[in-house]
This record gives sequence, C-alpha cells and structure tokens, in this order.
Amino acid sequence: MKVWLLKKDNVKALCASASGRWETYVPIESFAGDVQFMRLNNEKKELFLDKLKLDYESLVVPPKVIAFPQLESLFKFQDEKIIETVKPSVKRLLFGLRACDVKAILFMDDFFKRNFEDIYYLNRSTDKLLVIVGCKHPQENCFCTSTKTGPFLETGFDLQLVDTPNRYVVEVGSKKGEEFVSSYRKFFDEASKDDVECSRIAKHDAEEAVSLRLDFEKAIKRLCENEPPRQMYEKIAERCIYCGGCLYVCPTCSCFNVFDDVKASSGARYRNWDACVFRGYTREASGHNPRFEKWILTSRRYEHKLKYDYLTTGMSGCVGCGRCLSSCPVNIGISQVIEEVSKE
Amino acid sequence: MDNLVLTTCPFCGCGCGLYLESANGMIVGSYPSGNHPVSKGALCVKGWNAYEFINKLDRLKVPLVKSNGGFKEVGWEEALATVSKRLLEIKEKYGADALGFLSSAKATNEENFLMMKLARAVFNTNNVDHCARLCHASTVAGLAATFGSGAMTNSINEFEDADLFLVTGSDTTEQHPLIGSRIINAVNDRGAGLIVIDPRKIELAKYATFYLAQNNGTDVAWINGMVNVIIKEGLHDREYIEKRTENFEQLKKVVEQYTPEYVEKIAGIGRNLLIQAARLYAKSKKAMIVYSMGITQHTTGVDNVKSLANLAMLTGHVGFASTGVNPLRGQNNVQGACDVGALPNVFSGYQKVADEAARVKFEKIWKVKNLPPKPGLTVTEIFNKALEGKLKGLYIMGENPVISDPDSTHVRKALKKLEFLAVNEIFLSDTAQYADVILPAASFAEKDGTFTNTERRVERIRQAIEPVGQARTDWEILCEIATRCGYKEMEYDHPSKIMDEIAELTPIYGGISYDRLDPFGLQWPCPSKDHPGTVYLHKDKFAKGKATFMPCVYKAADELPDDEYTFVLSTGRVYWHWHTGTMTRRTSTLDREVPAGYVEINPKDAEKLNIQKGDRVKISSRRGQIETQVLVTEKVKEGSVFVPFHFREAAANVLTNPAVDPVAKIPEYKVCAVKIEKI
Repeated sequence: MKVWLLKKDNVKALCASASGRWETYVPIESFAGDVQFMRLNNEKKELFLDKLKLDYESLVVPPKVIAFPQLESLFKFQDEKIIETVKPSVKRLLFGLRACDVKAILFMDDFFKRNFEDIYYLNRSTDKLLVIVGCKHPQENCFCTSTKTGPFLETGFDLQLVDTPNRYVVEVGSKKGEEFVSSYRKFFDEASKDDVECSRIAKHDAEEAVSLRLDFEKAIKRLCENEPPRQMYEKIAERCIYCGGCLYVCPTCSCFNVFDDVKASSGARYRNWDACVFRGYTREASGHNPRFEKWILTSRRYEHKLKYDYLTTGMSGCVGCGRCLSSCPVNIGISQVIEEVSKE
Repeated sequence: MDNLVLTTCPFCGCGCGLYLESANGMIVGSYPSGNHPVSKGALCVKGWNAYEFINKLDRLKVPLVKSNGGFKEVGWEEALATVSKRLLEIKEKYGADALGFLSSAKATNEENFLMMKLARAVFNTNNVDHCARLCHASTVAGLAATFGSGAMTNSINEFEDADLFLVTGSDTTEQHPLIGSRIINAVNDRGAGLIVIDPRKIELAKYATFYLAQNNGTDVAWINGMVNVIIKEGLHDREYIEKRTENFEQLKKVVEQYTPEYVEKIAGIGRNLLIQAARLYAKSKKAMIVYSMGITQHTTGVDNVKSLANLAMLTGHVGFASTGVNPLRGQNNVQGACDVGALPNVFSGYQKVADEAARVKFEKIWKVKNLPPKPGLTVTEIFNKALEGKLKGLYIMGENPVISDPDSTHVRKALKKLEFLAVNEIFLSDTAQYADVILPAASFAEKDGTFTNTERRVERIRQAIEPVGQARTDWEILCEIATRCGYKEMEYDHPSKIMDEIAELTPIYGGISYDRLDPFGLQWPCPSKDHPGTVYLHKDKFAKGKATFMPCVYKAADELPDDEYTFVLSTGRVYWHWHTGTMTRRTSTLDREVPAGYVEINPKDAEKLNIQKGDRVKISSRRGQIETQVLVTEKVKEGSVFVPFHFREAAANVLTNPAVDPVAKIPEYKVCAVKIEKI
C-alpha cells in the first residue's frame, strides 16, 4: 500500500481544488458548534472551508443523508403525466469520514442494490471517493474496536488519513484513491519510514482511546442461537419514548415510507425516513397489527441489526458509532443490548 | 447536506434546537442540535418530522376574499386594503371595543408584540388576547399573585439534578417529551423520587414512588391535604416561611379542615397515600413541582396554581436550583406571547394597562395619545361578545378557535355573527373558513424571529427558505395593515428592530438583542446588556419581595355527572399530534400513527355499556355530540373518559364546558359531564 503525506495547511486548498471536479462533502462546524457533513458550495468555498472541522467528536446526522435524504421526491405527476425527478449521477468526494461511517456506507450501498437497484440512492452513491480521517478522540458512546469497524480500516476506503502532529499520513486503499493523489499531486508529499511509524503509533493510541469494549461476536452468536431475550426487550420498550431518533441517526437504517402530496390532479410522490419502532410501520389496512406489543417493536430493531443483517450478509448492521445512545432522550443504546446479551 | 439553518422547534414549549435542511427552496430534513441545551442531540418524534408540513401543496399561497360562499384569489394590495378599511369602518361605526384581536402562541415574540401594538396603538383597544387564555392564564395570574412572576421558576436542565418530582396534571412524556425523558432518566438512573398525581394513569405513573389518582377537579382539596399533613407533622420550613413569606397564619387556618380523611372523601385519594406523598415532598431537598393543563384548565385554575405555590413555599422549595413551581408551557411560544403583552390587561413585560406610568411610557415610544386604561376582553369573552352582537370585527393571527376553544358550536355561531373576520394562516383551517379575508402567512421555516420556551429562554428562529407562493411573514402583514390605517410607527426592516423596541419597553427583556442570542438564546429576566440571563427565579428574594401564601377553599367543578350525563370527560393531547392537527395531520409519519380520534374508557365501564375496542360510540354533552371509536384502557378511571382534541371530525371541544375561572377566564376543559351510547 502506497503511503503519502498531506500537510494540514494543505487540506483546505486540496478540498477547494477538488470541489471543481467533484461534488465535495466535508464536515463543517456550525456557529453553534455542531458538525455536519455539508456540500462544499462552490460560490462560498472559502467561507465554508474556514469552518472545516476534521477532528470532530461527533456527527449527529450520519453521512447516509447524502445519498438517502430524510425527504426526497421520487416523481411528480400532473393529470396523467409522470415527471421523473431522479437526479443524474455525479462524482462525489466525501472527505473526512470516520471509519465506522465508511463501513456503514458500504453496507448501505450493498443493501440498495441487493434485491433491486434503487436508482434514487445509487445515483447519489455509485461514483464516489471515500476519504477517511481516522478518529483521534473517540466519544464515550462508541465502540468501533468491538465491532471491528474502526477507528481505522484495512480496506473499503479510497484514502485514509491518519492524524499525526502537523500532518496527515495518507494511506491509499484503491486505484481511485491513487488516481486522486496523482491528480492533486502538488498537495501531497512523499512519506518517510518515520512518518509510517508515527501513523502506526497514532492508530494504536486511537484504538486505545476507545474505552467502551464489548463482546460483540458473542452477542451476535447468542442472538442467532437463542430465543429472543424478551425480558430485556420489555425493559427497553417500557422506557422508550418512541421518538425514532435511534433509527433516524443509525447509519445503516434504510427504512422509508412513501406518501403522496396531491392537490387537485397534480402532486408528487415522496419518500421519507421511517422507523420500525412505530406501530404504524406494520399496521395493516384492516387495522390488524402483527407487531403491536411494544417489546416486539423493540426487538425488531435489535434483532434486525445484530442477527438478521449478520445472517443475510455476514456483517452486522451495527458499526459501533454510538449514535443511537447519543441521540436517545432516555439513554438507551444498542451497546447496552450487546452488553446484556453477551454477559454471563 | 446542502443548506442547514439552526432554528427552534415549532411544537411544544421545550424549545428544542433543530436544524432545517433545505434544497431548491424546499425543506427536506429536520435534525437535532447536539449542543443545544434542551435537545442535546435528541428530538421527539414531532421535532424529527417537523420538515414535512411546511412543503404541503395545500399551504395557503395567495390572499383570498370571501365571494359567493367560497373564496376568490386576490392581490395583496386588495386584501390588505380590505382588512384595514373594514377594521377602521367598524371602529368608526361602533367604537374601538367592537374590535377584537387574537394573537398567536405559534407566532414569534416580535409578531405578538406587533399584534398588541396594532390593537392598542392603532385601534385604541385592549381587546387582544391569545390561546394562553386556554392553557396557562391561571398560571400567569396565580404565580404572579403569590410569587410576583407568572413564569416557570426553574430550568429544564435542572431536572437532571432534582431529588424529587411532584408531577400533577402534566402528561410530561407525551406533551413535553424532552422534559419527560429527563424525569425518566432521573428516576431510573439515579433513584430520584417521583410523585404523580393525575386522574389518568399516565406513562410516568409506572415510575412513580407514589401514584395518586385524584377525582377530576379536586386539586385544591388534595393540595390543602398535603399542606395540612406537612404542618401537622412539623415538616414545614419555619425559617424560610419567616424570612421569605407572608400570610402563613391564614394558610394554617384554611387548611385545618383538610385532614387526610376529609380529602379522601372529596378527592378519592387514600389517606395513607396522601400522607406518605406529603412527607416525601416535604423531606426532599431539591423537589420540583411540575404541572400543566391538568391544574390550569379548571374553573378553579387560579386556586389550583396558588395552592401549589403554597405547598412549595411551605417547604422552602422555591428560589433554589432544581426546585420550584414549574408550569410547563404548551405552545412553542406561549411564554413569549404573554411576555410581549398579547394579553388584554398588560403591555409587554406584564406592565399593567391600568398603570398610568406604563401607559405614558408606551405612548411616548409609540407616538400615540390616550392608550386605553381599561383591560380588554379575553378570548372567551371575545366570542361571547361577538355572539351578543357587541363585538363586530375580529382579526385572528394563526389560531384555530373553532377546534381549540370550548363549546365549538358556540364559537362557530359567534364567528358567523361577526361583520368582519380576517385571518392570517398557513392552511385553510376550520376557523379560516369563516373569514372574509385570508392572508397567507409564512411558516416558522420562512422567517426570522424569536420564540421563548417554557424555561424563559428567548431563542432565535432563523429563516431557512423563502415564504411559499405569495405568503408573507405575519410581522410584515401586521406592519402593512398598521401603515394602511395611517399609523407611521410600525415600519421595520427586520424583526431584530422589533426586538430592540421590545427591549426598550420591557424591563425583563431589557438586555435582549439579536446580537446576544447566538447560538442558544438568553433566559429572562435579562434586564441589561451585560446581564447573563436568569436560570432560576426568586433567588434570595421573590420577585414581589416576600411571597404570599394564598390559601384557597375547595370548590367543585362547574359541571359534574348526573343521572343523564353519567361520565366525566377530560380532554387533552396525544404525543403524535399537535393541537388542532393543522400541521401534524399533514405529517405522514405522525398521522399514520394516530390517524383518527378516539375515546378512552375504563374496561369496567366498557363492559357495562357492552362496548369493545374499536366500536363506535356517540358522546354527548349538554352542548353537542360527536361520534368516535372506543379505546378500552385502564389509563382512565371508572366513570371517566378522555378524548384528544386534535381531530376535527370528532372534535372534543364540541362537548366541553365553556364555564371559566372567574379571574383567569380559562375554560374548564378538564371536567364536564357526558353520556356515551353505542352506535
């Protein structure tokens, strides 16, 4: 694997330069201190890049929103006519992703073409370059070392930046990544053996800094083999206030609802984020609801992430990002389920 | 994400910080702010779905005037000219007090301030009020009288340190989810105590140390009962009472007869339970009283609030962090709409219209003469006067009284009787249907301004997209009308200038200006530019100096069950919907969850009536009848039923009793008598 150096001073210039050819997304800090993955607007590039924040602690909204927006129009209609609103595919650069989120993106990419090709998602996701900036200060709710999804990856990225003092050590993970470096060669320097050693230490330190450790494999094995732990689900269900937040912020939750907005004979069909903890999610037209009891609503979420996803793809739908806990008004997180299931 | 704007949630009084995402002039997402002191990375389901209604195709986009029983589209010029001309004509013909102005707890502080300025400075009437009348009018009156300030004493984050919560008449997890969640966490994760007193077995009841199910409308009795126990057992804070309060002897005298045995007979709360709950409240160091509509929406609403204030003063639970009397304000900006004077008896900052010095101050800044000194009509009185034919013209900004006010048949009749009705709205509401002119307004996503949340936090809303169609912001519409009526002092280029005027005239907002409100606002009182805002009230000294015990005597509700109308009806909201449903019933996820109205009925009553879950029933009161489906649940007591008021096709307020509290004029939504028949 080829390794390069990127001086921290060069990052903004690189992004600015790349945004001419790529639709570029970077983590931007708002005036309120919240960091969001934003499209680099070509008109206000410099202003935007002043707020670039690569060493962010958390991103409330996962980058899935770039290819899978909370609300999107599928098509419009007027009288008998249908007007397509699907956007043509563009090259996208996602710069500054965390390792766990890259794992999630790969998971979603697979999901949206597994049974049929979801053109709305794929047009936003197919032609993209994934640049990881590894986590330096993991937040207390995440557990990527247990899910083996971070803080750094071995594969799956195009470029992976390791934060060492003054500069990033850049690992190339794909041919696309190599081509990107060649195209913007002036921003990159050759890396020395010392640099590689520095990055090894930085990676090691980051890994050590992830304090929440769980026996993830054991939890999955147990869930796959045993009856659902009903009492545990009941306890969670009782406490849950049904905001849907854990599902909305989950980087691998892909459920959506479809609705029409119609006035007279014209309107549009939309899809928006849905959440399986809502009763309306499974209520049938007759009013019958096969999943009415709260514990069953709850179990679906965890059984899907930890068991069903694993059984169908070999990869769990949980990437250990900890967002579900961070966004839960009543402090419920998937980490607690994993802990509970795996304990003796 | 393309464009993100940090703003404030438009639903409840929690005032969560959320980001609206927009693309091509449309709102496409709503996400919590991780750093906002209330939301902290979380939202309730309504906040998460706040993006959808804004885009709906049936938003009002063009001014409309009534024509041949329907509406016809007109230009702004014609619409505004008609409104100003008709309002002026009515004033000319019948006098200023033949006009009424309903402001809005959903609109911004700036817009509410301008609505009351329009009523007072331009039309010379104090007939301006808004839906706070229907929710916390009792709080404003009751707490102002006892403590000197009618607002929530403490702050939302203080819930995280309290030892005990006494929650009464607040279904906190459903109505203020991000406050309810703090109670759930405190009780489950660090063993805080919880006393729930509510006729309905609400969600929080399952976490309660003690759950007391009082009979509807008996709050003064059980509160006096607790006060009685605390005094009898010597658990009151003598030093605090001596130093910081007055009129204790009177309290002692009044509560003497409210022994646990006596209270049990009235309120149906077991005597031992009452005693234990009273002890726990008195002995807890940091104890917060939390209440809402279950306390205020009674003909004894003010008495209920005063009684809770008595209980808190008695035990020294006011004036410290994580204590206090905490009315949870319902609407996103009902606190602010009151603060800036959209009330018939006060200007902004609760400065009384009857006070000459206050009038002189406002006259000077507004450049008018002879502001009226007599308090105007309340919401409930406005409709009565309209029906009597004494109030002729009404201007409503963003309220839907046909669904939200008690005895809606009466409201509809009153609206029909008006000579002129103008309405600012975002959707064609049931109320707007009665309008002569409808002015299409911008939604919260389409304008700048401020909301004040329940903890007195004045926080910004920020424009994310241009107003849809030809819609205009309420503040611009109000200014246009004032100017057309010949008034020159209502021209602003931005809401920040309106806030500057509010600050100039309003001591509690004196230090507030837009440059100080980023990112998360300031909590009033904030009297000067260098003041950091106030987290909790009455520290060291009450707003009125010494707080006053105001003991009250129990009075029964206005209308109780009898042989014909055998059930007690209580009304309220559900978690998934907001008030009259104009926004949430247009939100797919929320409307899917609870698509229709229903009545909650106890299993024993259901058996007696031979009805089952899903059956349709007719519910009637002396005022009207509705049909709806049955939900059989232990949540309600035997003899009681509950109907949410969101659903126009089964509108609970067709049934409710318009009898009001004599002081606050708040209607008794929580008790009326109904009968139930299977269809």
